Amino acid sequence: MTVLLLIGVGGLAGTLGAMLGIGGGIVLVPALVLGFGLPLEEAVPASLMCVVANSCAAAAGYVDNHLSDIRLGLTLELATVLGAIVGGMVAALIAPAMVAVVFGFFTLYVALQMMLVRSPRHEPSTLDDYRPTNYPLGISGSFVAGGLSALLGVGGGPLKVPLMSYGMRVPFKVASATSNLMIGVTGAASVAAYALRGHLKLALVSPLVVGVLVGASIGGRLMPRVPTAVLKKLFALVLLTVAGQMLWKGGAGLWPNVWK
Amino acid sequence: MAERVEVSGGEPDGSVSPPVTAAVVAEPAARLGRNTMMAAAARAEAPALDAEPVTAAELDVPSGDSVPARDRTVAGERWIARVLRVGAVLSGAMFVLSLGLEALPGTEETHVAIDQLRKAAASLLLVTPVARLGVAGTLLGLRGEWRYLAISAGVLGLLALAVGAGIQA
Repeated sequence: MTVLLLIGVGGLAGTLGAMLGIGGGIVLVPALVLGFGLPLEEAVPASLMCVVANSCAAAAGYVDNHLSDIRLGLTLELATVLGAIVGGMVAALIAPAMVAVVFGFFTLYVALQMMLVRSPRHEPSTLDDYRPTNYPLGISGSFVAGGLSALLGVGGGPLKVPLMSYGMRVPFKVASATSNLMIGVTGAASVAAYALRGHLKLALVSPLVVGVLVGASIGGRLMPRVPTAVLKKLFALVLLTVAGQMLWKGGAGLWPNVWK
Repeated sequence: MAERVEVSGGEPDGSVSPPVTAAVVAEPAARLGRNTMMAAAARAEAPALDAEPVTAAELDVPSGDSVPARDRTVAGERWIARVLRVGAVLSGAMFVLSLGLEALPGTEETHVAIDQLRKAAASLLLVTPVARLGVAGTLLGLRGEWRYLAISAGVLGLLALAVGAGIQA
């Protein structure tokens, strides 16, 4: 029964993650910790493994359909990995609670803007009718996303999709598909670090990955058919959840020591 | 709105190509890179009729130097998709098999098989995106886009550094 439930949760996370380019960790970590009573140390590596599975399954279809921008993905990947390494190195110097609160407010702002403000910019009528702009912003934003990923374990998707979509003028669906392609690499590196420390529980990962692979295939087929406006609203809801998690996490540990 | 028309015309070298279907759109230049992530150089040499998806009948008709460039791009993307799909399907099948074995009466051999299957599946899944990165960089490098080959090599190097140093990327 538990195996079936884990497959079901994995399927839900896979579908959502594939459609929005966020990997699905946002669904999995709370579900595993609150729903299944697992410790965070087991839930996070299992969730990261599912992010990798999601990336592989969904990105295969997106690359086939020319939805992923491979060159943009490669460029931003370099900045993300560099940011993640720097984030991992400065993690000992910065209080994660402070970063979590700042990131929480930023995510809240982006989510509210996506939900409430109608963007004056029209999405291109065809998905190839665009050219990424503002590379300096994209690269520096990806660096920050990588750093936050290492500091807070949030994954880069919730930051990179709006960054590409709003900052670099990439169509939302292309941004989501490209994010899906990118998160697999950083996720794999993170899982490898956990696995080397013996924190990866394969008995837990197995049913989750099976569910995620099925869900990601479904999400990958659904995404091109779902209207962009609906995807954006869904993404805004996910961002609100991330903001809530970050503000909760940060608020609990921020005061009195801002600096360690 | 795009209006479908039948057009036929001569090639730049004077030869006459058979009729093909094209989309006449308001802003042709911007839209003609039809859904392929082509390099700027390859996009620049794409023919106007590239705006319309190529049908099976048209595939037999060579229409200039851009066709090999486009084919190479599409073939490269297919390779990347293939790497990802094979990794996902194989590791998924191994995980499913391990779950199936778990349902059987547990013997020592079964437990060992389950453990090995899961380790192999997890390893394959972790290697897949890294292999995708290598394949993408190599394919773009082979097409003369050295910048992306260098970028993918840089990412792989940084990842190796991060994993080796135990930094959680």
